[in-house]
Amino acid sequence: MAKTDILMASPVSKPFFLWRHLNKLRWLSLSIVFLMLLLIPFLHLYQTYVAAHAYDLLYPSERLIYDSMETLTAPFVSDPENDLDMLKGTTWSGRLFGLDLSDPLAVAGQIAASGKLLWPFLLTALIPIGLTVVFGRFFCGWICPATFLYELNTGLGVWLRKLGFHTGQRRLNRKFKYLVLFVGLALSPLLGTVAVAAIYPPAIVGREIYYAIALDGFGIGAVFFAGTLLFDLMVARRGFCRYLCPGGALYSLLGRYRLLRIQRVVEDCNDCAKCNAVCEFGLDPLRDGFGQECNNCTACIAVCPTDALVFKLTPKDQPDRGPGHLGRQYRRSQEATTQGGHET
Amino acid sequence: MKRRKVLQRLALGVASLSAASVPYGLARMLAPDRPTTTKIHYLRPPGALSDAAAFNEACIGCGLCGEVCPPKSIRFSDREGGSRLNTPFIDPAKKGCILCGKCMEVCPTDALTETEREDVEMGIAQIDRTACYPWVDRGVCGACVVACPLGERGIGFDFANMYRPVVKKGCVGCGVCVEVCPHPSLPIRIAEPGSSTVVVHQI
Repeated sequence: MAKTDILMASPVSKPFFLWRHLNKLRWLSLSIVFLMLLLIPFLHLYQTYVAAHAYDLLYPSERLIYDSMETLTAPFVSDPENDLDMLKGTTWSGRLFGLDLSDPLAVAGQIAASGKLLWPFLLTALIPIGLTVVFGRFFCGWICPATFLYELNTGLGVWLRKLGFHTGQRRLNRKFKYLVLFVGLALSPLLGTVAVAAIYPPAIVGREIYYAIALDGFGIGAVFFAGTLLFDLMVARRGFCRYLCPGGALYSLLGRYRLLRIQRVVEDCNDCAKCNAVCEFGLDPLRDGFGQECNNCTACIAVCPTDALVFKLTPKDQPDRGPGHLGRQYRRSQEATTQGGHET
Repeated sequence: MKRRKVLQRLALGVASLSAASVPYGLARMLAPDRPTTTKIHYLRPPGALSDAAAFNEACIGCGLCGEVCPPKSIRFSDREGGSRLNTPFIDPAKKGCILCGKCMEVCPTDALTETEREDVEMGIAQIDRTACYPWVDRGVCGACVVACPLGERGIGFDFANMYRPVVKKGCVGCGVCVEVCPHPSLPIRIAEPGSSTVVVHQI
C-alpha cells in the first residue's frame, strides 16, 4: 500500500522544463563574456588605427584587424573612433553600452585603500550589488571570465585522471577565503595599493587579455593566474574559488540571504548523488547543503534525473530533509515503520 | 672535521665581503652631494592625482584609461612596480599624450579627474641647450614647436633665433615634443611640475 503510494506519488512541483537547460544558457553567458573580453581590445586597436588616419601605413596583420573589425561594427556605428567607446573595460570595471558597471570588490578595495567614499564610483557597483543580494554568487557562475577557464580546467583534470594522473581532491576550510578578503582589504592602505585587484582572477584575466592583445604582452598577473590553475589541479577542484577568492567571499556575504535559491524537492529525490558529484563547489545538494557558497550555476539541475532540484524564492535554505522519497533508504525506513506498525 | 671546514669557509667569505665593502663605503662617504635629477621616468595620464601614493590607492587597475586612449600612449606597469603594479603611465619617448581627455572622462574613480587641458599638470618640458640642434647651431628644426598640442602657450621660438625652442609657462608636460624630437639623446624631456624649463648642468 505504502509502496504503491510512493511509486504513484504525483509530482509535488515539477520544474519548468527549460530549467534543465539553464546550464547551457550559463555556458553561453560565460562564453559571451569571455569573447567580449577578447573582442574589446581588438576594437580598441581598430579605434586607434581609425584615429591615426593611416590605413596605408598599417602592417598586413594590422590591416586584417582593421578590416575585420570594420566589417563587424560598420552596421552599428557611424563614427567608430568615438561610438565604440560605449563598449569598454572588463568585468572589474567597464562600460556596457554606455552603462558604467564596477565589481563590488573594486569599490570595497578602493574604499579600503584610500579611505574615501566616492559616490559616483559606488553607484556603478549598485546594480551588481543588488543582483548579488537577489541571486547570490551568480557572478561566479554566470559571468566571471576566470570561471570560464577554471571550468575548462576542471574538465582537463577529469581527462588527466582518466590518463592516470592524480589530481588534488583535498577539502580545506571554506572560511579561509573570508580571511583572504579581510587581510586583502586591511593590507591595502599599508601597501598603498588596491591589493585585492592583484589576486582576484576575473580582474587578472580581463586585464591580461587586454595587455596581451593591445599592449606589449602578458604581465605578472598571468603567472599568478597560471598558479591558480595549477592549484585547482593539484590541491582541490575549483580550489581557488572555493577557498581563496576574495571576490567569492564578498559575494557569499552579500548573497547570504539571497532570494533565489536552488532547493531539493525531497519527494522527487532518489538519492542518486549525481548533484554532489557535479557540483563544482563541492557542496551537498543531496542533503540540502547549499548555503551561501552556492553560485546558482544550475549544473545540479541539469544533471538531476528526477527533476528534484528546483529554483525557489526563499531567503533561507530548508533544513536537511533526510533521504529522498524515491530512494532505497527512505523506502526501507518506511517499510520498517509500517512493519513496526503491524507489530504493535 | 668537515663542519669545521665549512665554518672556516663561511667566516672567510664574510670577512672578505666586509673587507671589500670598506673602500665602497669610504667612497660613498667622501663623495660630494649631487643634486638629484628632476627628470621623471614615467608620466601619469593627464588629470592624475598629484600625490603619487594617493594615485596608487585610488587606481583600481581596470585599464579603462588605456582602452580609450586614441594614440595608445597610456601603458601599464604590468610586470613590476610594487604598489604601482597595473597602474597607467605614459612614456613620452614612445608616445606623448594628445590631451584629448577621454581617459579622465572614463576613469571610474578619482584617480584621473576631469581637468581642462590647460590646467593639466603632468610635468613641464625641459630643453637641454647644449644638445638641441638649433641651440648648438646644428641646423633648423622646430619639430617640438609644430607638434605641441597647446600651440604657442606651451612652447615657442626664441626671440633672437627663429628655430631655438623655448618652453613657456603654459606647458603641461604632455610629452608630444619628446616623442617628435629627432635628436637621439632627447634634449627635450619632461621634468616635475614647477621645474626649470632649461636643463641646468652641474659639473
